[in-house]
Amino acid sequence: MMNTIRIFAPLAWRNLWRNPRRTLITLVVVSVGLWSVLAFNSFLNAWTQASKDTTLQLLLGQGQIHAAGYMDDPGVETLMPPPSDGLLKALGDKRINAWATRLVVPSVVQSEYKTLPVMIVGVDPKAEGRVSSIPGKVVEGRYLNGPDDDGVVIGRHLAERLKTGLGRRVILMSQGADGLLAEQSFDVVGLYDVDQQTEDYYVFTGRTAGQKFLRLKDEIAEIVFTIPKDQDLAPVIRSLKAVAPDMDVRSWKQLSPFLAATNSFMSGFIYIWLSVVFTLMAIGIVNTQLMAVFERTHEFGLLQALGMKPRLVLIMVTMESTLLIGLGVLIGMAMAAASIWVTSDGIDLSGFARGLELVQGGQVLYPKFDAGSFVLFSLVIWILGIVVALWPARRASKCSPVEAMRMAT
Amino acid sequence: MPRHSRKTTLSLITAMLAWMVLAGGATAGQDARSILKKAYDNWRANSSFAVVEMTVKRKNGVRKMTMKSWTKGTDKALVRFVEPARDAGNATLQVGNSTYVFNPKLNQVIKLPASAMSQSWMGSDFSYNDLARSQRVLDDYTHKLIGTRTVKGRKLYVIESIPKKGRPIVWGKQIITVRADGVLYSVEYYDQLGKRVRVMTADKIGRIGGRLYPIVMTMRRDDKPGQYTRIKTISAQFNIPIPAYVFTRSNLRNPRD
Repeated sequence: MMNTIRIFAPLAWRNLWRNPRRTLITLVVVSVGLWSVLAFNSFLNAWTQASKDTTLQLLLGQGQIHAAGYMDDPGVETLMPPPSDGLLKALGDKRINAWATRLVVPSVVQSEYKTLPVMIVGVDPKAEGRVSSIPGKVVEGRYLNGPDDDGVVIGRHLAERLKTGLGRRVILMSQGADGLLAEQSFDVVGLYDVDQQTEDYYVFTGRTAGQKFLRLKDEIAEIVFTIPKDQDLAPVIRSLKAVAPDMDVRSWKQLSPFLAATNSFMSGFIYIWLSVVFTLMAIGIVNTQLMAVFERTHEFGLLQALGMKPRLVLIMVTMESTLLIGLGVLIGMAMAAASIWVTSDGIDLSGFARGLELVQGGQVLYPKFDAGSFVLFSLVIWILGIVVALWPARRASKCSPVEAMRMAT
Repeated sequence: MPRHSRKTTLSLITAMLAWMVLAGGATAGQDARSILKKAYDNWRANSSFAVVEMTVKRKNGVRKMTMKSWTKGTDKALVRFVEPARDAGNATLQVGNSTYVFNPKLNQVIKLPASAMSQSWMGSDFSYNDLARSQRVLDDYTHKLIGTRTVKGRKLYVIESIPKKGRPIVWGKQIITVRADGVLYSVEYYDQLGKRVRVMTADKIGRIGGRLYPIVMTMRRDDKPGQYTRIKTISAQFNIPIPAYVFTRSNLRNPRD
């Protein structure tokens, strides 16, 4: 076998360049196809990562703890006391980066022109800054000064919709702890700028100020926490559940099933793309190779007439396609690596920022070189390419010498 | 006259002038509120029964509705629509801070949540809050008489009302004009930047139910020119006894009148 390969490899290589134009076309098809798969894969991964990070850093954190029942019916009736000593100890674990408590209840905001439903979020600004990116996204005015700051920070888009602005009053209305209407005027002290959906929905004030507004004592609605980058989330959730068995501890995947679904869809999507690309590539390969075999009928007839076995013809033609596709794969990998290297400093999409908000994308993507998927996708394309090229090869081996030589001249 | 005594007289006059100005200012402040109180009392009376026609003008047409309304004191009101057939039976009951709505098609009484209070009432330019809180202006604002105007030979008091600090009020101020004879003439609502948002004017003032009354009132929004809501009082009786059952939820659902 090795012998056969040694003899046929140079022969196959030379055969390839007997018709350089055809070979180049196949090379282009394979390399561009593979390049698109690899580059797209790394782009998609970067996209998924960026949108996940952006969303988690906004408000979600890696996980949250609520009183049982809060998630089904958020409101003043489903709050919980501040974290107990046991929970405090568990939250102080080194597997948890940071945590913060929040008071989150549905409310209604009213300006001179409009009344809109919102969530009022009472925060402890210092702790909040460690788990959420919103305090750093205040574009006008300031963020809250402390838990007892009774100003509100609202989204820029919400301010536009309410036709209100910095330094003006808005009225917040909600159900107070006593079941009666609580309403209070709040001064707008800051505007934040993130995605439109968040801007429209969340209004921030100090936690203590919020509790006072709702006539609560020290109840909170949620504890949000983040974990270090390399930390596994599942054990953290387990250990928190262990110390707070009667509470509702959830990971971000349970809190935002949509984000989790997008995440897994994105990683599955590359296989859809791979199959589309491969189908097109297969058509290209089979087409050119069939053409080549057809044109070389005379040659195969002659070879067989001289005593070459059909099996050897099959091996030779297969080897030609192996070399050809292999070369294409190498070129495609090089192109993909080059394009990832060029864009690795980040693709800044902030120009499309408002449009991207719709699909919850991050604004800067950092494509990364992932050796595993590089090797995997390249091998898949190469092997599948060889498999489809077996058809023309088989055809070449099937022609009878007599007919072939008669037909050709 | 000795010199020193002239000086004394002068300072006495100055002091008196100053006192008059100060006291005058104080009475003006007091006046503004009492002028308003008188106007609102005249408007709502201790109790009232009225038949009212409401016209809602929108871009795509005009809608006319007739309703009966009962009020008692400052915190009880019942409004029931009688015409057209499509809207007949719809009723709104306001007792204290609670507002209930009855819809005959659903055959159900709904207590309005706070969030719904600022929504439009029956598609008009009034919100449920406007119905419920017209009186609150008296206590939630500080009133100042800022001048007088003369319209068609009648004297009008112009009162500027600014929300007291901390009160849950979105308006920057209201400018309320009241006729010298105590009839509410117009109410202008301004946003916090001083831009007018909407205005309610008395288009016809006349005698009804034995008192001078703004018979036709129109509410307009400055950002929606060409649209308005007009309320015309067809007949009214004031300070009549109204049985307590009128302002109950059972009467809201099953009218006894």
